[in-house]
Amino acid sequence: MTPSESAQLKNRIRRLRFDHGEMTQQELADRVGAARQTIIALEAGKYAPSLLLAFRLAKAFGVTTEDVFQWDGD
Amino acid sequence: MKDTVPLAPLQRLAWFNLIIFAVAVALYFMTLFFFAWHFHRSLAVAALPALGMFGVCGLWGLGNYFLHDRKRHARVNLDEREALIYQRANTIGVALFWEVFVFLCMGVWAYLSYVRHQATIPVGFLPLLVFLGMIVWQVAQSIAILVQYRRSAGDDTL
Repeated sequence: MTPSESAQLKNRIRRLRFDHGEMTQQELADRVGAARQTIIALEAGKYAPSLLLAFRLAKAFGVTTEDVFQWDGD
Repeated sequence: MKDTVPLAPLQRLAWFNLIIFAVAVALYFMTLFFFAWHFHRSLAVAALPALGMFGVCGLWGLGNYFLHDRKRHARVNLDEREALIYQRANTIGVALFWEVFVFLCMGVWAYLSYVRHQATIPVGFLPLLVFLGMIVWQVAQSIAILVQYRRSAGDDTL
């Protein structure tokens, strides 16, 4: 993902974690089948997940993918 | 609250490979100077037998042990992002290996042919060539893994 593309894709993963019982990064990683470093990279906006991981994240929070990820692109 | 993130399996593999290589280099120079001093040879003469110390790099095969992380509760040892990191690092390693390998093959051939006017290449050079290429591949791959992890790291907060 180029820097400009990463700037366009935003997410609310950290906010959603805190809103769901202050879930830790490790707990979220375990739920979605990813590494904690991947959750860190996602929250820092340095990694764009696959469709499957995006859906898993949304399901872990009980929300839609649009509630988790927002894209400001053209 | 800040905490330290444990090293990912790929990071541990990369560090293991780099440490093995550093040990091999250190052993090589120790052996080189020892041979030169003990057998009263010049460094150039002692350089070839001292290369045997790079056999330590055979321990790289054990690095795959680090890909299995029992402490991780995740269902997989390499998730999608880590698989991408490994794939990119492997591409870089193989590309560098190929460049070094071809350069050495053509360079040695050109030197022996046009400078030394020698019709043959010493047979002992061939395994050396492959082994050097493997070293370049593994070291480049390990550095690429660590750099990618470093670039994608964010705040280490809970």
